[in-house]
Amino acid sequence: MADAIVMEKVRKTFGEKVAVAGMDLAIPQGALYGFIGPNGAGKTTSIRMIMSILFPDSGALEVLGKASAVESKDRIGYLPEERGVYKKMKVWDFLTHMGKLKGIDSQVLRQRIPDWLTRVKLPEVAGKKCEELSKGMQQKIQFIGSVIHEPDLIILDEPFSGLDPVNMRLLRELIAEEHNRGATVIFSTHVMQQAEQVCDHIVMIHNGEKMLDSTIEEIRASHEPTSIAFGLADRAFDPEQLAAVEGVASVAQIEGQHEAEIAQGFDGRDVMRQMMNAAPLDRVELRRPTLEDVFINIVQGESGDDASLRAQLRGGVATEDEGGES
Amino acid sequence: MKRVLQVARREFASTALTKGFLFGAIILPAIMAAAIPGIGWLAAKAEEDAPVVEGTIALIDNSGGGEQLTDRISFRLQAEDFAAIDPTNPLEAVGAVTGSESVIELDPLGADADDTEVREALRTQYTEDVNGEVLALAIISEHAITPDGGDYSGFELLHRRKLDDRVISKMRGSIRGAIKDIRFDRAEIDEKQLAILSSVNSDTQEVSETGETTESNPLFGILLPIAMMILLMISVMTGGQYLLTTTIEEKSSRIVEVLLSAVSPMELMFGKILGQMGVGLVLMAIYSGVGAGALLYFSSTTGLLTPQLFVSLAVFFVLAYIMIASLMAAIGAAVNDLREAQSLMTPVMMTFMIPYFLVFPISRAPNSTLSTVLSFIPPVNPFVMVIRMGTNSPPPLWQVLVSALIGAVGAYAFVWFAAKVFRVGLLMYGKPPNFKTLIRWVRMA
Repeated sequence: MADAIVMEKVRKTFGEKVAVAGMDLAIPQGALYGFIGPNGAGKTTSIRMIMSILFPDSGALEVLGKASAVESKDRIGYLPEERGVYKKMKVWDFLTHMGKLKGIDSQVLRQRIPDWLTRVKLPEVAGKKCEELSKGMQQKIQFIGSVIHEPDLIILDEPFSGLDPVNMRLLRELIAEEHNRGATVIFSTHVMQQAEQVCDHIVMIHNGEKMLDSTIEEIRASHEPTSIAFGLADRAFDPEQLAAVEGVASVAQIEGQHEAEIAQGFDGRDVMRQMMNAAPLDRVELRRPTLEDVFINIVQGESGDDASLRAQLRGGVATEDEGGES
Repeated sequence: MKRVLQVARREFASTALTKGFLFGAIILPAIMAAAIPGIGWLAAKAEEDAPVVEGTIALIDNSGGGEQLTDRISFRLQAEDFAAIDPTNPLEAVGAVTGSESVIELDPLGADADDTEVREALRTQYTEDVNGEVLALAIISEHAITPDGGDYSGFELLHRRKLDDRVISKMRGSIRGAIKDIRFDRAEIDEKQLAILSSVNSDTQEVSETGETTESNPLFGILLPIAMMILLMISVMTGGQYLLTTTIEEKSSRIVEVLLSAVSPMELMFGKILGQMGVGLVLMAIYSGVGAGALLYFSSTTGLLTPQLFVSLAVFFVLAYIMIASLMAAIGAAVNDLREAQSLMTPVMMTFMIPYFLVFPISRAPNSTLSTVLSFIPPVNPFVMVIRMGTNSPPPLWQVLVSALIGAVGAYAFVWFAAKVFRVGLLMYGKPPNFKTLIRWVRMA
């Protein structure tokens, strides 16, 4: 199948700052891709270039077989990171406006808008002004605005930010539905967990460079479990004693959770069994590396502050709502 | 094009179909027009309630007018109807009669009297509630009544502070009238006779193309160019101002990028400019319709209001509007909020104020070199042309056409500049730009 998006050596700088440094990327049609990376990594800039909102300094781009997204705007749905609504406009009018801009006529919209409002569980807001809605509600309206024309390519920049867990799940389901309809979906996030839950393919971006470009399975497979998480049934038991178990290199407490590092050359399952015998454990689990671990591994050395990066990648409160990416 | 129209439609609806616009553009002027008689009534009421001023004028008479002069002044100070006693000077009479009620007496000090005390009193007594005190010092100079050679001199009037200007005018009018009376007497001139002789009736008529005559109305000839310029200015500025506001709103509420996913920056800008042009046109149609209607109602002088005039008004509106609107769009896109827009707006506003300052020179001499040259310089040329076309010696057709052509080229250049700034500015947040940055953006885009 043809590629929905092709980027070749795309480079973009803002003054001194290199936002995207020679990106090569091919996203096949029908794929569900996640762009991940910390704030300021270059995700939004890449997406804006795909959308022809910004233009690369050098390199070539192809979107849905055309040289520029401008030529196929009606086939693309885009939810930018910097998103807003017309505050004084009624939800119905706003969605009609967005739909008409995408070339859908009012006849069709009269049907689709109530459909979609029901799907996002906001059937009663059509007559309300946008400013009367909560931020999360507005976000769902914006999502509708970006997919109401049933686009072939959907690009969502940080679609989950600011949503509560219930709505996050709802949005995940809607994204999956759009994907099943046949649309190519790309979304960016700085929260790795979301990417892991939704995507089948991950592109990691850091300091404007592509660090990783593979499927979730490939990533998992290429990273063997390196540690065992465990919980103590008897609180009086000193976890350090487990360091004596064969195959355990060290024991540590990482963010309130006990972890035993597997020594080189040992099989994780064997070590688990040994640990069960040696101590009163109520929980023991092979820890596969999360995307977060993989990411930290990849960028380690470049970023000195491991803890703050970790916090950011988990969508820590401090960075969640800023999203100030240039 | 469909997208441009959709943007324009939203822009128009969100501006013109709001209660605020209906109120500001239509209802408010209507209320104000209705309020004018009310204001007149209030002013009259205030006049009735004005406090009575009582006091004296200290008089030093160096002219030798003696009792005749003091009698005359007192008589005039007490007179109710000035026009009756002063037929040659109706204007002065009006000024004095409309004065607030006052009881003013004369206190003759004699020739060359010592006025130190009076001056001191004038210096210290000035609050409004001091009544019965000295209000002024009048010094009649030596040759006020008897000429020195062929020339007369007059008088000096020193009054205290915070005195009602109508009282001052009454005092001045009384003294002046008294002196004049005595001069007429001594020259043996009958004042009534003089008034009759001075009055010459004139009937000025304008001859139309068909040979009919209509009463000419010089005031109308002065007002029409000004009215047309103001009409153009209001419509253009209103549309431009709204465009600036909505652009800033779209940018600051971060809706711009959502829109850019559906339309190109150019489509967005043209749509917005088009939508607000509709708003400006609606305003202009309303006001010019009301204006023309009022003219038809009150006067038969509609000869100057030709269809060509309305057509050119519309053409020059479009040109002027596009120039200012593109600047407004560029500024709106460049800044983060209205406050930041002010500094960029100042030079723009100053430029567009030029016609305001020049409306009199241009309308008095519509075919002078200044007028002609300004007719060819964008962005002020549409305004200048409209002023000139409203006068009774409109410019030749070729000048109108050339001005419109230059205006069109100017509008194109403005749009070209704005398009570049608009495109770069829309997604730029942070430090507000100055004109230097804007130029850099134009080079960048």
